Amino acid sequence: MQKIQRSSKAARGTVTCDNTTMHLLKANDFVADSIRKQMAAQNILLLNITSSAGSGKTTLLQETIKRLGGQINIKILVGDLETERDADRLRAVGGDALQIVTGGICHLEAQMVWQAMESLNLDGVDLLIIENVGNLVCPASFDLGEDYRVTLIATTEGDDKPKKYPRMFLTSELMLVSKVDLLEYLPFSVDNVVADARDINPDIDVMELSTINGTGVDAWCNWLLNKVAEKKEAASLAAS
Amino acid sequence: MHEISLIRTVFNTLEAEFSPEELSRLQAVDLKVGLLSNVEPILLQNAFAAVTQSEGKYETTTLNIETVPIEVYCPVCDKNSPVKDYKFACSCGRPSSDVVSGTELLIHRIHFAEPASVRSA
Ligand SMILES: Nc1nc2c(ncn2[C@@H]2O[C@H](COP(=O)(O)OP(=O)(O)OP(=O)(O)O)[C@@H](O)[C@H]2O)c(=O)[nH]1
Ligand SMILES: [Mg+2]
Ligand SMILES: [Zn+2]
Repeated sequence: MQKIQRSSKAARGTVTCDNTTMHLLKANDFVADSIRKQMAAQNILLLNITSSAGSGKTTLLQETIKRLGGQINIKILVGDLETERDADRLRAVGGDALQIVTGGICHLEAQMVWQAMESLNLDGVDLLIIENVGNLVCPASFDLGEDYRVTLIATTEGDDKPKKYPRMFLTSELMLVSKVDLLEYLPFSVDNVVADARDINPDIDVMELSTINGTGVDAWCNWLLNKVAEKKEAASLAAS
Repeated sequence: MHEISLIRTVFNTLEAEFSPEELSRLQAVDLKVGLLSNVEPILLQNAFAAVTQSEGKYETTTLNIETVPIEVYCPVCDKNSPVKDYKFACSCGRPSSDVVSGTELLIHRIHFAEPASVRSA
């Protein structure tokens, strides 16, 4: 594999680089591929949940554990700038959660997930969920080896988010419009937000959600159970 | 964002690839930064100035940043179209999220000065 077009002599003049070897995120993408391989080997569905700060990620995961904790084996990794608070909230409802404190870094990188996975017992786990740092900018660029990227957008944030943060919506498979119980009080149009998201990513799936009045929680849980089953089917097909 | 760590990655990448002698002649580094990379050229320049000054290295090196527009590929027309107003669609109107450019974040070219003593060939 030719890495860089250069002679054996000392470099001089202009050296043109191969686009893949000089990619500044290649270290991250390499580790993300390792994670993907390990998850495939163990038939574990891996989700990366992203949103702005406070859109309802942890609350949704609490609800998910309450509903599905008895049916499938779920583990959670939570990224946060400084505190253990989200992991504590998840443990309080019986979740098996590990906090990754990023120490001020505004996103999770694959290497952080890889390191955290070393202290997780993944035997028999069906679903590993990563709650990313609340931020729609930086986490968009960092592949964590996930099967699906799920992005929440809350009705309290305004409906202009997709076009402001296109990379995130381009790379997400599912958009959850959260806090829809507040729709009647807010100038937020679900139709507009879905249209804008689909201008960017025509294939993105959309669900409306409220953990307060229960809208969409069943649909979300069914989506999860389906994806877990699909991952296992794919694995048994590959094995047979 | 993480501009400082990106600049450090630029230097680490160069240091893994080139010798100290070669890097002592480093004149300029050209980066390609896609409009979807979520990296602000101005912030990257500021980070470059901050890192080179605080580490006392590469102080005479210039950073050139080329921003790359977003283009999507349409399999029906078999061509690329620019993305306008974040509408990811071909000029024929068909939506497409097959992004062929705009996510770049890479070192594109590196310019070196001639070695101090060049022996004639
Ligand atoms: N009205 C309403 N409030 C909600 C809903 N879901 C979450 N909240 C509230 O929104 C606030 C933030 O929720 P979290 O679940 O902590 O949000 P988060 O995305 O995990 O936040 P960070 O991890 O800090 O980014 C809390 O006060 C929740 O009670 C909902 O469906 N409706
Ligand atoms: Mg949270
Ligand atoms: Zn077309």
